[in-house]
Amino acid sequence: MQETSTQQETIVSKPTLAFNGQGTELFSIQIVNIALMLVTLGLYYPWAKAKNLQYIYRKTELAGSPFTFHGTGKEMFIGFIKGLGIFAVLYSILIYGTLQAQTDLGMYFLCLFVFMGGLSVLVPLAIHGMMRYRTSRTSWRGIHMGYRGTLGSMFKVFYLNLFLTIITFGIYSAWFTTNIRKEIFKNLRFGNAQFSYTGDGGELLILNIKGYIFTIFTLGIYSFWWAKDLVHFYINNIFIEQDGKYSRLDTSLTGGQYFVLAVGNLLIMVFTLGLGYAWVVTRTMHAIVNNCEIIGEFNPDALAQTEEEYKNATFEDMADMMDIGII
Amino acid sequence: MFEGKYYNGRTSKGMPAFITLEPNYIRISWRADGDSGTEIWHLDQIHKSEFNDATTVLEYGGFPRQSIAVFEQGFREVLEMKFSGASFLRSKYDSFQRTGVKGLVIGGVSLLVLAIVLFVWGIPALAEKAAAHFPEEYERAMGEQLYHQMMMGHTVDSAKTAALQEYVAALHVESDFPVQVTVVKNDQVNAFAIPGGFVVVHDAILDEMEHHEELAGLLGHEIGHVQMRHSTKALARSLSYYMLLSILFGDVSGIAAVIVDNASTLTNLEYSRSAETDADKAGLELLVQNNLNPQGMVWLMERLQSDAPEFLKFISTHPATQDRINEIESHIPETNYKPVPNPALEAAWKKLKAE
Repeated sequence: MQETSTQQETIVSKPTLAFNGQGTELFSIQIVNIALMLVTLGLYYPWAKAKNLQYIYRKTELAGSPFTFHGTGKEMFIGFIKGLGIFAVLYSILIYGTLQAQTDLGMYFLCLFVFMGGLSVLVPLAIHGMMRYRTSRTSWRGIHMGYRGTLGSMFKVFYLNLFLTIITFGIYSAWFTTNIRKEIFKNLRFGNAQFSYTGDGGELLILNIKGYIFTIFTLGIYSFWWAKDLVHFYINNIFIEQDGKYSRLDTSLTGGQYFVLAVGNLLIMVFTLGLGYAWVVTRTMHAIVNNCEIIGEFNPDALAQTEEEYKNATFEDMADMMDIGII
Repeated sequence: MFEGKYYNGRTSKGMPAFITLEPNYIRISWRADGDSGTEIWHLDQIHKSEFNDATTVLEYGGFPRQSIAVFEQGFREVLEMKFSGASFLRSKYDSFQRTGVKGLVIGGVSLLVLAIVLFVWGIPALAEKAAAHFPEEYERAMGEQLYHQMMMGHTVDSAKTAALQEYVAALHVESDFPVQVTVVKNDQVNAFAIPGGFVVVHDAILDEMEHHEELAGLLGHEIGHVQMRHSTKALARSLSYYMLLSILFGDVSGIAAVIVDNASTLTNLEYSRSAETDADKAGLELLVQNNLNPQGMVWLMERLQSDAPEFLKFISTHPATQDRINEIESHIPETNYKPVPNPALEAAWKKLKAE
């Protein structure tokens, strides 16, 4: 806190990022959440998620001001039910097909095809929907973020890259990852500021090959440095353009810090039987956010409101159900 | 009057402001770049404000929201005093946080106790109840699916299967399901049961056996598993665990994955030790019902023990073999009858051995 305020007083205002959340506070929120979820047989989940996000956003600060998550449990509950419905239909088809496998192999493959096809449509749909909802419900000093990508262009990027990944036996997946990130970030707005992602698929491929080989030779120890490299690759390639001037995100996370974080998190989870999950979240947020800074001429005082309101949360929970984590 | 920053929702520039808490509203007088103005915030349009720290943030109105941020100066206390009970200050989360360490520890421990109770007693009991009420036709149909799926990876010895089925036909068996036995070619000394009355026997275990009473004991053991619905109960239990975890972590697709995957995992399902002991008892009972030598059960166990490394895999999911033998032997004196030779069974046994 103090560090933030002294930096604000210097003449060139530095857009510092900080996470001030505490495990005990988050824990007290999660206890209430879990208790209510047990009582409601899980239906409280969207409200619990909203509270969780509201807390995490409130404790994440840029230039001394917190972010706000505007999403509500009610909005996400509607999305949750719709998502549940879509999954129920898809899985019923798959289970029906599996049961028919003995008698009607054609039916089995048809069901499998419909299921896989459905899933492959859902993934880009979920990424798109989640980005639109999540960004629109995020604000800082009242300025909202926004996502301007179209579903059509997301489908195009997704299927083209999926196709190339399949015919190259997975080698292209490094480009798949970076191209999806490029598509997402170039459509991301923070008021009148615009993001872009410049990571290169080739770089990611080499990074992964190196990480894989070194991890084997060091009996797994290198994996922490591999993970650190990935964090650097994902964060350091994010650019922000504001009034024609570019700034860049930069992380100073070291392999040693990542090692302490990962091993610490594991020990916390094991020795508290999972009850320490809140501390795992806050430790991780601390490590990522507090090691991150914005390099360049980004002026946090000069953002203007540009985005419109958007409240459709259908794919917010769908992304959760499919384990899609983007940022 | 408090000093703070005012944000108008159109730009991110923080404007220095004086904030006054009036009885029914908040007045904000701001000044920036030669411009100045006053805002009146009505209490009912102020958004709920939770999780504040040294800085208190309040937001107001429709999209885009205006907001103020006030750093300390006792603002929070005065706000709560002046507008106590106002809806924007009400939060069950904040009030739980205020219970402090004591509240957290009590909350955490009771949650842990609840979780343990649920996992150790609640779910198994519920699942077993549910499995016991599972209609027999469904269980048979489910077993049939699983049986066909499992047989895809095995070579059936049809001659031995026919002989073994004859042996079962000559045996007096009490079962809710028609018992269908299958002999498959496999070097592992093993046998397993599938819900709905399907018993699969590896030919290696038949080769090892010297007395047909051992076979009767083995069949009794496996039919016992089926009759006591051990697999169905274990399946229901793992499914309920999965559902509970899914509820807590919001993962829905996992539930269906379990249903789809069950065919492959069922073979690995570890019957609990008590289930094994119960099945051993069922094996012994079958010998008694057919007036066969109860020693058959002990022979069966000894055969498993004689060649430990070979059978380690089979034994590992079961209680220690010596313990099982002791347990069986303790029950043998309760059975006081004279074993009667059973020509039909012996004939079927000879035929099976000859195949």
